[in-house]
Amino acid sequence: MSWSGCSRPMSKVLLIGSPNSGKSLLFNRLTGLHHKVANFPGITVDVSTGHLHDLPGTELIDFPGTYSLQAISADERVAVEHFERSLDDAEVSHVLCVVDATRLEKSLYFTLQVIRECARHGKPVTVLANMMDVLDSHKLTLDAGALAEALQAPVLPVSGRSGKGLNAVVGALRGDQALPATWAGQSLDVPDEQLRLTAHQLAQRFGTRGDVLIRNQTRLDGIFLHSWAGGFAFFFIMYLLFQSIFTWAAPLMDAVEWLIGTVANWLVPMIGNQTVKDFTADALFGGIGAFLVFVPQIFILTFVIGLLEDSGYMARAALICHRPLRLFGLTGKSFIPMLSGVACAIPAIYAARAIDSPRKRLLTYMAIPLMPCSARLPVYTLLIAAFIPATTGLGGLVGWQGLAMFTIYFFGMFCGLLVTALVSRTSKDHYSDLPFVLELPPYRVPSLVPLLRNCWNRAKHFVTKAGKIIFAVTVGVWVLGYFPNFGSDLGTSWLGYLGHLIEPLFAPLGLDWRYGVAILSSFLAREVFVGTLGTIFGIESADEQMSPLVQHIQDSDMALGSGIALLVFFAIALQCISTLAILARESGSASLAVKMFAGYFLFAYAAAMAVYQFTSLFT
Amino acid sequence: MDINLWSLRTGDRCEILGYDNALDEKYRVRLMEFGFHPGESVSCLQSLAFGAPKVYRVSNTVFSLDDEVASHVLVRVLPSHE
Repeated sequence: MSWSGCSRPMSKVLLIGSPNSGKSLLFNRLTGLHHKVANFPGITVDVSTGHLHDLPGTELIDFPGTYSLQAISADERVAVEHFERSLDDAEVSHVLCVVDATRLEKSLYFTLQVIRECARHGKPVTVLANMMDVLDSHKLTLDAGALAEALQAPVLPVSGRSGKGLNAVVGALRGDQALPATWAGQSLDVPDEQLRLTAHQLAQRFGTRGDVLIRNQTRLDGIFLHSWAGGFAFFFIMYLLFQSIFTWAAPLMDAVEWLIGTVANWLVPMIGNQTVKDFTADALFGGIGAFLVFVPQIFILTFVIGLLEDSGYMARAALICHRPLRLFGLTGKSFIPMLSGVACAIPAIYAARAIDSPRKRLLTYMAIPLMPCSARLPVYTLLIAAFIPATTGLGGLVGWQGLAMFTIYFFGMFCGLLVTALVSRTSKDHYSDLPFVLELPPYRVPSLVPLLRNCWNRAKHFVTKAGKIIFAVTVGVWVLGYFPNFGSDLGTSWLGYLGHLIEPLFAPLGLDWRYGVAILSSFLAREVFVGTLGTIFGIESADEQMSPLVQHIQDSDMALGSGIALLVFFAIALQCISTLAILARESGSASLAVKMFAGYFLFAYAAAMAVYQFTSLFT
Repeated sequence: MDINLWSLRTGDRCEILGYDNALDEKYRVRLMEFGFHPGESVSCLQSLAFGAPKVYRVSNTVFSLDDEVASHVLVRVLPSHE
């Protein structure tokens, strides 16, 4: 047995429950950790751990939500196998099984399975009847004592949302209260069929009756799932999502840009050594500063997606999207990962675990890298600002830059659907398929604090993970461009030599060597393109914030066709090493990641060349 | 009248009779875990346009099933007063 360094020996407590039972919120309450909590079944796709802050030396392990110990999907299998292995761990002292007190019929069969497994392994189990605040608000009760007697396991009424009842949970873990003898004298080999029957009878006896709990849900579903009103609401909500990215984020982006500029103007003149001064101004504030400007957008997008998940609307969106997505070989469950891919492909690939059909999960993997992720946003914003006039048409109703952004976003989505449609109709793969069954969670008011913490963590993750790559690439590009002539002539620098070497590759797209270098560097991470270009132009003029960078591009005599070709290239190419690594890991196939990288590069190159050559006919 | 679950329209109630043999065993088991037991009463809350999955209520839980699953669940339509 290991020791935590305090007076108590280290022990582990397992937290398990069915999807959407509020388990993750309870985990956050008990540990003070703030991992992702969302009102969409299957959102917890990883095993999380944290230390119980009221019980030092005790680790709480949060398993992905599962409906049964008889797994039928990949994410359930991960949870079940790890849970069963953990029960053999001598350090595991207790199991907490979370049920949704408002919908017992959904949880009791699973609870009985857990109790049976724990009894087989000699582990005490406590059932946490969560969401008691919802029952209280409807003046409903749960006879926890009688349910405990029937289950032959303690039942504690709790509320993850309000924190009510959690002291009793800690008390139970501490051993303050005597636990009833569980499964004493009973067979531990009760068949699943018998457990299902028992669960059904217990649900009839203890479950809430009538329409009171579901009335609001039914009323709201009448709107959000209505044939016409639901479609309208869907498009309106998606419109708000895009507004949040481009309109609401603008003041924050301006503030970040101002802050970076102010710090640079204050710091750079104080540096004596010319090389260090150039490095600080061009590589640090130019390359990395141009990337940091986009952090507010990532924060806001994560917030809006989190709102949709926590409110319960995401599951409705999956339902609405199922039929159209089925035409492209996908499922409605693909919608969540694909929409998450608009923020970042990495969490989107993780989220695809919730798709129980291996074939549809694979197709979703193929679509995700073509979703217009936030890393593409800096590139799109830069190129659109450089090539599309900031004017309006149709009496001020349509902004051309906004329309261009809308078009390139949907172009990426269209390409994703095109690929899955083609692959699903032509491939004879060995992956099995599963049909669509989705629980629709109740509508809930999202909890703001966990939501904001999740946004903060996502933005921090983006900066720290991508930031390391960007810093390394930016420094590398700066060194190549600065030496051997100390920045006096970019054309005769090492970077200039390399750029001229690869120029023929990008010439069919109408791009010169500088853009070729920026594209090459962006294969590490797409957003590096802006930083690299900033560094390249910054070396020429020692100024590289967004507006001057736009000016440099406009002054570089790049044709409109090349600008559009670059947009098309970035919409398709899979330029993200982190995404490729996660793809290989999640799919269990490194060759899939390599094939996707090569395939999307060729697709991107061919499409961009076609666009440039076509537009050249008219200019 | 004995029909399948997919045939229900918004507002219809039914009693589950069983499952046809074409439904994979693991899905039959999972539906029963969700509460779709033979003898259980199920309501169709939403029957959306364009063949989208339909929304069914079992006890206090709401599920969405598409035709690939719901068409294999055999039901008896209940009169509205039953």
